[in-house]
Amino acid sequence: MRGFQGYHPAILFLYYALLLLLSLLTMQPVLLLCSLFGAFLLYAALFGIREMLPDLVFYALLFVLLAVINPLVVHDGETVLFFLNGKAITKEAIAYGGAGSLVMITVVVWSACYTELLTTDKILFLFGKALPKLGLILSMTFRFIPLFQKQADRIGQVQRTMGLYNGKNLKQRFGGAYRTFDSLLTWSMENSIDTADAMKARGYGLRGRSSFSVFRFRLRDGKMLALMLLLSGIVLIGAGKGNMDFYFYPHLAEIETGAEAFVYYLAMLLLCCIPGFCEWKESLSWNYLKSKI
Amino acid sequence: MGNKNSENSFVRQEEYEPAHIMSYSRKRTVRWGIALVGAAVLVLLGVKLWADRKYHLISFLIALLSCFLFYFSYEKREGSIRRIVLIAVMTVMAIVGRLLFMPVPAIKPVGAIVILTGIYMGPEAGFLVGSLTAVISGMTFGQGPWVAFQMVAWGLNGFIAGLPGLRFLLRKRIPLILYGIWAGIQYSLVMDIWTLFSLDGTFAFGRYLAVLGTVVPYMLAYAAANVVFLLLMVKPLGEKLQRIQIKHGIF
Repeated sequence: MRGFQGYHPAILFLYYALLLLLSLLTMQPVLLLCSLFGAFLLYAALFGIREMLPDLVFYALLFVLLAVINPLVVHDGETVLFFLNGKAITKEAIAYGGAGSLVMITVVVWSACYTELLTTDKILFLFGKALPKLGLILSMTFRFIPLFQKQADRIGQVQRTMGLYNGKNLKQRFGGAYRTFDSLLTWSMENSIDTADAMKARGYGLRGRSSFSVFRFRLRDGKMLALMLLLSGIVLIGAGKGNMDFYFYPHLAEIETGAEAFVYYLAMLLLCCIPGFCEWKESLSWNYLKSKI
Repeated sequence: MGNKNSENSFVRQEEYEPAHIMSYSRKRTVRWGIALVGAAVLVLLGVKLWADRKYHLISFLIALLSCFLFYFSYEKREGSIRRIVLIAVMTVMAIVGRLLFMPVPAIKPVGAIVILTGIYMGPEAGFLVGSLTAVISGMTFGQGPWVAFQMVAWGLNGFIAGLPGLRFLLRKRIPLILYGIWAGIQYSLVMDIWTLFSLDGTFAFGRYLAVLGTVVPYMLAYAAANVVFLLLMVKPLGEKLQRIQIKHGIF
């Protein structure tokens, strides 16, 4: 599969940073909805439409919950809808709460997608050069997690074979778990010293050592970068001209509907739909080719 | 901790410490000075550029910047491979601890493990283990801007526990319990900055207090979890960390 995930890690990271920045920067409803639409498009492509529906319900509930909090706390705004306990519930406060929770949900959905897209090897590739020690700690951590789990299983098996902590009651179980943890700790620390010595013996940290990576910056990465910069450039120009500004108090700002504003909205929509579109296209062509076999 | 043997090793380590601490203290001051200046610049930029409304973005950037400043200065500092590998081991312990307690909200052993790392391996190691645990376990728990705040929150728990003045005091039971409670509250305080900004985007001290009021149960849970896990783990984890460092000369 060479959908959006197939692009260079730097492209993926840059896109994420850009989207997060734009989504956190603006409270303009149209731009926010564009971002949210793109996020859900990608979400559906990555996790499947059927899996997305329960999540969609969850996000809708979250949206309502977050949107309700603001008007209960904030009583600014000109248009009073009704009074609750003598406090004014205003249209503006509801709109602000809604926009705020839209920002929140957009960020959460993008982040959920990116947990899938920007995998650990890509993160290591990105930061390993600039932060070699940190990269080493990270990659060792990823290796240690399955190793320690296996070792914990082994220790537990040995304990059971020896007839220790065989009982079913809570005290016995807790004792067994504690003892396994205890000896796992000793083992892992001593093991780490061995690992460190082995690395030193193999010349870790010496000058002139090269490392292998599977990621290459290809032509398609360059094209994607150009497209991203172009679209985000247009959006940012729009921001500079005030199209991304939106105020809620004391009364709601008008959403700009001119032809010029429409260009900026379109650019934002296209920018947000890039990853979802790439993934959908890839999976569709994949299915099409498979059906021909 | 109370027996004669560990008292001896405690004294022995104190003889090792001063040179180690002194050689880094000036660099440390410079580093945190830079971090503060960077944060101030970001705040000013935020005030100027977005007319003071984008607190959540600015605070997210500050959190991220402080972590990266720390990481870059850590790169400059020489350290043995053994120390690096030991830090990785502690990070794994914290991550696995968090994963094991995934079904239980707010009760996690991460804080305790980070604090013990800080006490027995120094402030840098404490910060690294805390912040890396947040990033790596975020891959299962979900990544997002709040992870930057978690990095700072847990990192600070470990960093403060490892500060030269505190780390010897914290080897006693009562100060350790008190610090565990404080660390839980401090974690909650840092995370609530994000809770507030993500809801609102602006900062008002009154609303910060209002949010704090709603999260008091969580705060108590964090503090209680810290104390329980600290008391459970100070013996197996703390003493082993101390032992392995003395045995293999890792300082």
